[in-house]
Amino acid sequence: MNDLILACLLIPLLGFIFIFLLGGTEQRVAFISLWMTRLLGAAIIGLLSLWAWLGFPAHEFHWFNLLEQGDYQFPILFLFDRIGAAYLFCTWVIFSIIVRYCRHYLHREAGYRRFFLTIFSFVFGLNMVILSGVLDMFFAGWEIVGISSFLLIAFYRHRFQPIRNALRAYSIYRLCDFGLLLAALLIDLLLHGRNHFSELKEVLSDGYPPGGYIEFFGLSLLLIIAASGKSAQFPFCFWIPRAMEGPTPSSAIFYGALSVHLGVFLLLRTQPIWGFELPSRLIVMTIGVLTVFVASISEQAQSNIKGQIAYASITQVGFMFIELAFGFEALVLFHFLGNAFLRCYQLLVSPSIVAHLLRVEGETDVNFDIRKSALAHSLPMTLRQSLPETLQNTLEVMALQEFNLETLVRSVLWDSFRDLGHLLSRIHPFLKTAILLVALGIGVILFEKGFNIRPYFGLLAALGMVYLSAMAFSRKRTPIWTWNQVGLSTLFAGVGTSLISDEQGYLVLFFSGIIVAWLLGLLLIVRMTRIDGPTMNPYMYRAMDEKMPIHALLFFLAFLGLVGFPITPAFLGQDLMLFHLSSEHAWMAPLVAIAFVLNGISASGIYMRICAGRPVEIRPSAG
Amino acid sequence: MMANSLIHGPLVALDRGDDPPTHDVMTTESHPAKTKPAPPHDHSPPAKATKLVFDLDSALEHIAHWLPSQSPIKDFIHHNTLHALQHRPFHEAIAIASRIYGAKSYLPLSEYQTRFREGRIYDFALERALESVEPDPDLRERLKEELFRDDHEAHYPPLSLALHGLRQTWLTHIEVNLDAQVHPILFRFIANFLDQGISRWSVARDGESLWKCLYRLTEDSFVPLYPFKDPGIRKILSMTPDEAILFCLQKIVGDETLFGVYLLELALGHPGWSGMVRVIETNPESLLTRRTISLKEFIAVELAMEMALLLMKRGPHFQSLSKVPGIDEAPSFAETLDQSTTPQHLKTWHEAMEFSLHAELLRALQQLPKPAPLREIKVQALFCIDDRECSLRRHLEEISPAIETFGAAGFFGIEFFFKGIDDIYPVAQCPAVITPKHLVIESESSPKIQPEILSRPSLDPLKKSQLMRNWLFTQTMGLGYAAKLAWDVFRPGAPMVKIKKLAEVDNPTRLHLLRVTNEPNDQGQLLGFTPTEMADRLESLFKNIGLTEAFAPVVVVVAHGSSSTNNPHFAAYDCGACAGKPGAPNARAFAHMANLPEVRSLLQSRGINIPPNTLFIPALHNTSRDEVTYYDQQDWPSEQPEGLSHFQSVMTKALSRNAHERCRWFELGPTSSSEAAAVHHVRIRASSIFEPRPELNHSNNLYCIVGPRSLTEALFLDRRAFLHSYDPHQDPDGERLSRILSQVIPVCGGINLEYLFSRIDNSMYGAGTKLPHNVIGLLGVANGVEGDLRTGLPSQMIEVHEPSRLLIVVHQTTAILDAALSKIPAFKAWLDHEWLRLAALDPTTSELLLYGPSRWEALSFPERFTTPEGSSSRAIYEGKSNTIPTHILRKVSQ
Repeated sequence: MNDLILACLLIPLLGFIFIFLLGGTEQRVAFISLWMTRLLGAAIIGLLSLWAWLGFPAHEFHWFNLLEQGDYQFPILFLFDRIGAAYLFCTWVIFSIIVRYCRHYLHREAGYRRFFLTIFSFVFGLNMVILSGVLDMFFAGWEIVGISSFLLIAFYRHRFQPIRNALRAYSIYRLCDFGLLLAALLIDLLLHGRNHFSELKEVLSDGYPPGGYIEFFGLSLLLIIAASGKSAQFPFCFWIPRAMEGPTPSSAIFYGALSVHLGVFLLLRTQPIWGFELPSRLIVMTIGVLTVFVASISEQAQSNIKGQIAYASITQVGFMFIELAFGFEALVLFHFLGNAFLRCYQLLVSPSIVAHLLRVEGETDVNFDIRKSALAHSLPMTLRQSLPETLQNTLEVMALQEFNLETLVRSVLWDSFRDLGHLLSRIHPFLKTAILLVALGIGVILFEKGFNIRPYFGLLAALGMVYLSAMAFSRKRTPIWTWNQVGLSTLFAGVGTSLISDEQGYLVLFFSGIIVAWLLGLLLIVRMTRIDGPTMNPYMYRAMDEKMPIHALLFFLAFLGLVGFPITPAFLGQDLMLFHLSSEHAWMAPLVAIAFVLNGISASGIYMRICAGRPVEIRPSAG
Repeated sequence: MMANSLIHGPLVALDRGDDPPTHDVMTTESHPAKTKPAPPHDHSPPAKATKLVFDLDSALEHIAHWLPSQSPIKDFIHHNTLHALQHRPFHEAIAIASRIYGAKSYLPLSEYQTRFREGRIYDFALERALESVEPDPDLRERLKEELFRDDHEAHYPPLSLALHGLRQTWLTHIEVNLDAQVHPILFRFIANFLDQGISRWSVARDGESLWKCLYRLTEDSFVPLYPFKDPGIRKILSMTPDEAILFCLQKIVGDETLFGVYLLELALGHPGWSGMVRVIETNPESLLTRRTISLKEFIAVELAMEMALLLMKRGPHFQSLSKVPGIDEAPSFAETLDQSTTPQHLKTWHEAMEFSLHAELLRALQQLPKPAPLREIKVQALFCIDDRECSLRRHLEEISPAIETFGAAGFFGIEFFFKGIDDIYPVAQCPAVITPKHLVIESESSPKIQPEILSRPSLDPLKKSQLMRNWLFTQTMGLGYAAKLAWDVFRPGAPMVKIKKLAEVDNPTRLHLLRVTNEPNDQGQLLGFTPTEMADRLESLFKNIGLTEAFAPVVVVVAHGSSSTNNPHFAAYDCGACAGKPGAPNARAFAHMANLPEVRSLLQSRGINIPPNTLFIPALHNTSRDEVTYYDQQDWPSEQPEGLSHFQSVMTKALSRNAHERCRWFELGPTSSSEAAAVHHVRIRASSIFEPRPELNHSNNLYCIVGPRSLTEALFLDRRAFLHSYDPHQDPDGERLSRILSQVIPVCGGINLEYLFSRIDNSMYGAGTKLPHNVIGLLGVANGVEGDLRTGLPSQMIEVHEPSRLLIVVHQTTAILDAALSKIPAFKAWLDHEWLRLAALDPTTSELLLYGPSRWEALSFPERFTTPEGSSSRAIYEGKSNTIPTHILRKVSQ
């Protein structure tokens, strides 16, 4: 059984590697993906039947520890139970269908190989999430899913609209990551290493939350944020419809079927934690109810078919949240399977809607009219005519504009940073230098007085980090400038941590990853912008992916390295850094995490502006 | 723009708001206000040029000119993508368009070089192109060197004036990404307002205009429409659209001379929606559910939104466009346009490629073998001129010498609205510019059970709105969809239940063709035709194609349509001459009329003698599945006429050969070379939900030949020719020829140019790949949820197309051709400006002459350039995967 679990995890990775190395032609990509899918199917069927034969046990398997440092462990631990089984089964069915569908659908499409690479990495990440037995590994898989989803939304990178929407989805993803990462660390801290999913129930069985009610509630909240972001629940409902930019099958597999249900999966896995306290249960419930309300109304005014399906799907996920809050686990699983298959199917056949409506159904069915309803008769006469009309208008506006959730979320989350950045950038350079000098001076004085100045400088570094991140986030000057801000900000994070924390070993790991990526990226940006001149119109996309494909690929790797993608050394470094910070200096952990999220968004912005777009002839402006 | 002439009666002038192709040449000078309401057709922003007070209406007319004119997707009509520039010479128009839209002008250099290496661009053609492009011999040498440079960037388009113009400079300067904020709100609003059936709530009320609707949603709602939160900004909404536009322009732009440019850049920031609004404004009946809308209101809405957002982001004293440093030094729009050029070497290559391709046909016509001796004809078949019928006709005649085929525009000269049994709305069955006055209704001939309509995947669950029902449905039915999906994907074409496809509607129905009452219905349409009206139409068609005597005992009228699954562009696959519908009703109407005794006697008095025993039979060729359906079998005489069964069996064989010939284009086609495998493959292809290319439509259309079939019978044209029958000897004054050309030039020329431009720049002129398309409100497709509507053709339709202008070859003397052309000046302009080419093949001397604006040029080719020959179609195409030059078919006598 262990071997089968490993096979389920590694076959997609193997497929990815084969396609990457051998997939020179469309035929070969198709051949490899077909056989890898069959192999994966065999492994999954084998696993499921063996598991059934053994009597449906919850099976745990500890492979090895990826990293051990002090009390911190990063175990590769698997858990397989009925939740995992349901998700794995669904993954297999949908993935096989999509692979077969895309063999023809993507035929002759530029990016055939890229598409298959991305969906194999997606399935790898997904299986890692499904099979993981501990939140750290779960997080790694979650990140892979996020990045592949980002790449598929931006699959058509010569148009800027997919890119913008990819960034939009990515920023929500980063926010969930932040929640999940902190949650993973908090679990480690609060449960003192007994953090396996399988142990949670037992650990919490004595009736008192470890670490105190408040901390435990905070942990639940982080998990819920992560889950509702990923599953596009209230208030994040807006991103899924906008993510429908890739080829239809990729939208079907991600936003119709699998990715959108990952939040539900997270909540299923961590049910003992957030279900422990009533308030957090109520929050899940409220989110579900609000989502059902918002999404089902927004669905009514969607004039595009994919948006309509997306909102229909979100509505059902909202129901799942409600069911989860009641603890109906089996019902949720059943509901999940139904919704995944149905939405996948609907998205795949969505182009048929024209023929369907014209030849089968006909006229617009605008059956929404409040005035006729009972409400009108119970109102005072003066209002009878006007109020229902106004109400109807209001509902229409709300539906049409999707309750303005996007504006709301954006103004709460990002605009404050943007404003901060704008504010900071307006400060005169002299004043900045002066502040810096004063701060250093105070440090020197403190040192002379015999204080331990390391935390003080640590604080300074953290402030510098936030400053740089906010600047990079708010201004789009030149790519080099922004890239340097991001790189410096990340370095400051490392320096600050090293000043504060006593454990230093992981920093080598962290710095080695960051510095290499930063320098590599810098070199590439310089070389790539040289052709078009270094001054860059902030709204211009430079299409280096088409003009200098190898540079663009390397730059992509540098970007992943800098933002701490799960396969890079910086990822482990970040993870460790946050672990130590949160155990020793909890105040700094959220700062660092926020800075990382902002840096990720800024860096992906640079990547997109340099590599994406449609090449144009450079002519002297006078025509 | 499409055919504007009815088959009978005088040629009518264009009746749409389109530009008449004969324009005064664009001027950059001031343009005095001409007779209103004719739009000023100078292409400079009027305000800037005239230095007069800004005139909104003429500015809007000017803008409308640059917008794509594609109607809602249900009736896809091919037209010249650059119709705005049609009054200019072809290459000049391309240069201007590339500058304004930021589009590519020609193919990448390497593609031409490859074609040259493969021998598909001939030396003599290259020399000729060099001479015409560069008259100076010294410069010509340099140009010639440039042709063979290794350059992968030469075809990159220039920066678009509309997308990177003054407006963008200003937005960059004030650091507001206004489009990213306004477009999503605007597109959602307009899409929902115009929605034809996808959304369940539409914000539009009957008869309410867009501007009024915005006012209501803002002022009479507890939550005003975003971004009109501020009561101050809402004052704009209580103005008229005119006032609102001027008010916003004052604030946003400031300088009155720049208003025109600003509006143009604004509207071209989303050409798809602006164009759609304009199409609906000028032609409201293109929507099933009518909406009141105008470009002016649309722009007013957008400006009001911009205003609101600018106030929100930058406060009341934001920097207006005219205050941006350096903005007045920017070159004016008109100046820049006038200086647009295209890379000379690409232009040379393109000319050389086109001439090589055209030469392949012209040379073959010079080397035609002696016409075969007269043979006994048992069956005549009348086809659409569509290039997809070209190969089917060849196969039919190759198999049986007793079959003779004719070609005519696929509505067969009968224009009417048709309401089929399953249709909710009547649709026009004729080229788009004709508005029919007749309505034909289909009904069951015997009461029967309604046929199941399951031909498209069911989306029923989408349309159920009740929340609880949805919840239950997902819970219970969802798993079933796993099975359905798996079945559709792994066993395509094998229906789970009996599904009716286009070609297999077997239920006998009846068309009500004969007029019973002269009372028009509420739409002013007349039900059916009188015998005289019928005879008029038949006479016109028969005389056009030169079939006035020697009718065979059986005449089959073959219309065409195409069935495809999961394809929002399905209308672009059907018959172009029927405005994107299957042509079956026309074929049925034609056959029915021609079988009526009183019509025949009328025809007899006009010199068309149809023998009493001749039977007309309607049929439909499904071009994607390669199937033929015969209609109205209940009306056939009980005794099968001679030749019919022969025709049916030959047709079956020809269809499988045709399917086999088509399969050579499909990379994922059958591996075995048998015809049965090919037939199986094309049928699966047409019914698979994952197949974005049910067929390749008009890909590679290149020639149009107007002449008798004897001229083309012995040619292998590789499905590249539109074939219109015409007898030069029956048309001494060119009257019929001018009628034919007035259909052929816009229909075939429109198809050809739309394919050409969609292929040359698929992201600007075409719709891009169809894989991420999202259907918007049944109006069109867009990328993603909040993208602009995409016009033109998706890449899957044009990717193998060789973008080359149409060559029309007419079998007639130049004198008669000149006479014919002088009657249709609007279409002659297409030729004068080289939007397509015309050659005359003299019926007596067999001399070939190429049309030029001033003279006919006699053509001759090098001796060694000969036309290849083949013994059968299959011998010619087998094993080849690219386009095949014209071959002479030396049939082995059977």
